[in-house]
Amino acid sequence: MNEEIDESDFYHQDFTTASEWEVFIARLEEIVHQWKVDDLKEEDATNLIIKQGLWNIKQEKLQFVDVEFTLFYYKNTSVQHKSVEDDDDTKKCKHPLENLHDFVMYSESHNNLECPLAEWYGLNEFITLNFSSPNGIHVESQIKLLLSSTQLAINNTNCTIPIFVQIRDKWQNCYLGVYEDEQIRTNFEMIHLRKGPQHCQYLTGLVDLFKTKIMSPVSLPPITVSVQLTFHLIEFGISTWKQDLHDIDRENFDLESICALPFGVTHDPVTNLILKTTWSHLPDHLIVDSENYSDFDPMQAPKWSCYVVMTDQSLCLLSESLSDVLNTVNNNSSVYDILGDFVSSADHNLDNPLDLLTEPKLPTFSTVLKRAARNSLPKSSKGVAPLSEEVLVPILYFLFPDADDENAFPYSSNKEKDNGDNMSSSHTPSMMETECKGFKTCKENSLPWRIAIMFVQTLGMLGGPKAAAHLWFEFVQEMRFRWEKSIPIPGLPSGYPDPRTCLLNQKLQMLNCCIERKRARESRETSTPNVENQTVDPNSSTDDEEFYDCSPDKPDEEDKKRARHSLWNQPVGRLGKFENLKLIKTGDPLYIPITQDCVPKTEDQLEEDTDVLLQLGSDAQGSELRAKMMSASLLSDMESFKAANPGSILEDFIRWYSPRDWIEESELDEWGQKKGYLSSRMLISDNAWIQMWESAKPVPANRQKRLFDDTREAEKVLHFLDSRTLSQISDMLFSIGSHAAICRLYEECEQVSSVLPTAFKSLQRIIKYVEKISRNGKICDRIGGNLIQQIAALELCISQAHSLLYKLNPSRGCEQNIDPFVEKLMNGDEIEIEGTSKSYIGGRLITMFSEAQKLANMIMTEHGGLVDHHPTGNITFPHPHQREFVMRVSAVRPATYSIKSPQFLRTILSKNEFRLVGAFSEDVVFF
Amino acid sequence: MDDDILTTLKILIIGESGVGKSSLLLRFTEDNFDPEQTLTIGVDFKTKRLAIEGNTVKLAIWDTAGQERFRTLTPSYYRDAQGAILVYDVCNYSTFSKLETWLSELETYSTKRNIIKMIVANKIDMDNREVSREEGMHFAKKHKTLFIEASAKTKDGVQSAFEELVQKIIQTPDLWENYGPGSNFHLGNKEHPAQSNCSGYCNLA
Repeated sequence: MNEEIDESDFYHQDFTTASEWEVFIARLEEIVHQWKVDDLKEEDATNLIIKQGLWNIKQEKLQFVDVEFTLFYYKNTSVQHKSVEDDDDTKKCKHPLENLHDFVMYSESHNNLECPLAEWYGLNEFITLNFSSPNGIHVESQIKLLLSSTQLAINNTNCTIPIFVQIRDKWQNCYLGVYEDEQIRTNFEMIHLRKGPQHCQYLTGLVDLFKTKIMSPVSLPPITVSVQLTFHLIEFGISTWKQDLHDIDRENFDLESICALPFGVTHDPVTNLILKTTWSHLPDHLIVDSENYSDFDPMQAPKWSCYVVMTDQSLCLLSESLSDVLNTVNNNSSVYDILGDFVSSADHNLDNPLDLLTEPKLPTFSTVLKRAARNSLPKSSKGVAPLSEEVLVPILYFLFPDADDENAFPYSSNKEKDNGDNMSSSHTPSMMETECKGFKTCKENSLPWRIAIMFVQTLGMLGGPKAAAHLWFEFVQEMRFRWEKSIPIPGLPSGYPDPRTCLLNQKLQMLNCCIERKRARESRETSTPNVENQTVDPNSSTDDEEFYDCSPDKPDEEDKKRARHSLWNQPVGRLGKFENLKLIKTGDPLYIPITQDCVPKTEDQLEEDTDVLLQLGSDAQGSELRAKMMSASLLSDMESFKAANPGSILEDFIRWYSPRDWIEESELDEWGQKKGYLSSRMLISDNAWIQMWESAKPVPANRQKRLFDDTREAEKVLHFLDSRTLSQISDMLFSIGSHAAICRLYEECEQVSSVLPTAFKSLQRIIKYVEKISRNGKICDRIGGNLIQQIAALELCISQAHSLLYKLNPSRGCEQNIDPFVEKLMNGDEIEIEGTSKSYIGGRLITMFSEAQKLANMIMTEHGGLVDHHPTGNITFPHPHQREFVMRVSAVRPATYSIKSPQFLRTILSKNEFRLVGAFSEDVVFF
Repeated sequence: MDDDILTTLKILIIGESGVGKSSLLLRFTEDNFDPEQTLTIGVDFKTKRLAIEGNTVKLAIWDTAGQERFRTLTPSYYRDAQGAILVYDVCNYSTFSKLETWLSELETYSTKRNIIKMIVANKIDMDNREVSREEGMHFAKKHKTLFIEASAKTKDGVQSAFEELVQKIIQTPDLWENYGPGSNFHLGNKEHPAQSNCSGYCNLA
């Protein structure tokens, strides 16, 4: 500290010999001054403030020789404004102990200050000097040195904030401190032991200790005592809430137990319920608390409060089962690799090829299942099937309920949709439906949905990847069987592949389209084998149907028209007359032809098509090529039109096909209809339409080349399903599984919504996330993992709510106040129980405590141990986990003529800890 | 210069036959007008780069045939479009009244939840107008779409129609950003680099 001082200045001082101690104190003062300055300024400038709940904390590092210390400044922001007002009123600083602070209500969200001094002394503002080394400070002289440093700093800075010095080991939270204002100095002292002396175990002894310590020269007024007994409830007995993992009993396999995704926790999420019974501000001479007798019977306490400790270590079943699926995404082996030998023998699913001939064309549905079971269990001893028949068959019945007349799990048919779902499992309300509208998955409770659930269950509980692969294998077998036997697949929305659903749903819809067309074809062949132009032998193989199929013409029309047209030019494939239009050349009515249905496509096929179109480029040549590619259906329509309307010309076709390109005039032609002409763009010479019209031959739709080859498309779908690896399957099913999980969460949320109002908000966030995942295509570990975390968090929250409701309100009766009470408990806060032991909640707590106590006593006696003897003889409650006494008095110290100053002692007694937290003041002006 | 492209957008042009969909597209992409524009068969498309607020986007604009019969074919190409231009002919009231059908078709087949729609009243250069501007605006308001009057022949409004649509799409990052929280990069990042948490402080020495 070598200061350059101006020569002219008369004041000289040499600091070159300042000791380390002086430097330390100077630094201490500097920091305290700096904080004082900061305090006067606006708060926002200080970005060094750490916030901890309601507290603002500032910190600075300082050194004493080579030992490092940190000075912390704590300030409670919630009382800041109040203290300012107080200053105005009293103009004098209030002693920090004069606030009658007894016990802090535990709260997870607030007051979570690491430093317990605020709690013990009820301070709103204080400074601590903490050592940084791990060894702690034990040497008495060092402690003294530090304490006197702070004392000096306080005096030099006129600081009216108590400063504490941490001593002993860090974990002991032991502090000594000093406070001083104009009149009073308070010494904060602390004792921390593992076990206290015998005479200090009860209040009576402690009061004596307190009085002795004060040593007031005049007799003391009554000491004010507050008491808090804390009880811990850990063993919940029959009130324990948890979901048992289903033990899958292969003999009595219960499908109901797995047809919904599992939900809940495997361990009770509530690990500890803490009850605090409190007596406040009693005079010491009116109460007795000794080894033999205590006035403090928890049942009689004027204040009860409690909070709960939750664990987040529980295994959450729903999120866990989803993460099983996510993990399988990394499993790139094919279904056949996993199943190995087991399926190779059943390669083409019919043990006996002759079955194909002997089985009826439309088999009874039960044969489907028999066959499935037979396939899954090849007689050859090539190992045991991953899914036994007892498990597999019920699952297949669940997936394909149409195979059984009295199935418990039918799919709701489309017609019933309006009348409400007849499914036993709940029909999610419209709010959910609108929320999940953006999901690219499938309809709730449809076939893909059920497969996803079964896939999740087989992965999680029924044997892992092997069983899941087996399930998929059986499913694909069934799909193939249904295609071969032309049996519609149940549980799918009718119609073309819906691009808003997931790929699996589209693929299955596609397969259903193929089956439908195949059936239409087959039924025509069998019912009307003599239809005109149908030369196909109904007994021949149905596989290679070359022509498009559509209903035959109406016979009566045929008769009339036959006379007008030559034999080779008979009109065929008419659907009906088109308004009153007549052919321009012949005057015959203009008929709408029967046309080929448009081609169903799944999104991957559409993407391929689009890519092809895109590759042609955007120049004129590309456009022309595209038009050619797109014109197949136009040509087909033209040919059908020509077949239905012999003698027609392009103008006739245009009038039906693109009426806006036919400009009418007011003049009438010979058939009584308005004359007209083609639009100029139709008249462009050699345009595509004219070219095509000229090349079109009159061919009815049913004899044209099929635009849609159902056999080929069906095989494509089957191959697609068959060739999926486990990874691809999991990928496809993950978003459906997530969707199902959301529905499950929603049901659970509804049950606990009264105590967990934020649940729906969290759920909505998850919904947004799943929507993105479902549209994103391939799922990756990070995103999927994130989703699962969110689901697990909500699942845990819901389970906690369930658990608390179950404990406090097992009958789920509509007891008042329980819901808001549980809601607050859920926040992790300590809540006062109104009506203490007489209230309903109090009654429940007493029941649970005494049950646990009975159980404990039973174990004790069994082991021959001594039953813990409690002075009150109370058998309801165990020995308190912790007892806390707060004593305070205003005493005249140190001399008889001193002014009164606050004295304080808090004792914390528990099994492994004995702590005395004291503050003793004395008059520094008149003594 | 592909690096400069912010994103590729898919835009549809739909509407009744003969309202001038292909002409609008030709005017926008090639600044040209062909009175003898051929009939579109099925779908066609053109691409164009467009600079909006310093960002270049690539547009793939899909032009569709308006004929009733093609409606079984064209909606399969609506997939993943971020924007749609619905065109009607101001000289033909029926093309305007059919817009309702086109909107519901779009609703059914578009896979994006919040696709941006713009209604374009075409052929405003013609004398025999049947649909007033007010009617068009009212309809657009009712269905919460963008609205503009245009003429592919005189160039009026064509450029702005596309620009406004693209701008609106870019303002809706949900539509065009890759899904997945990890891959979110916002348009704003280009202009304002991520702000480093300023941790500077004054030393009161």
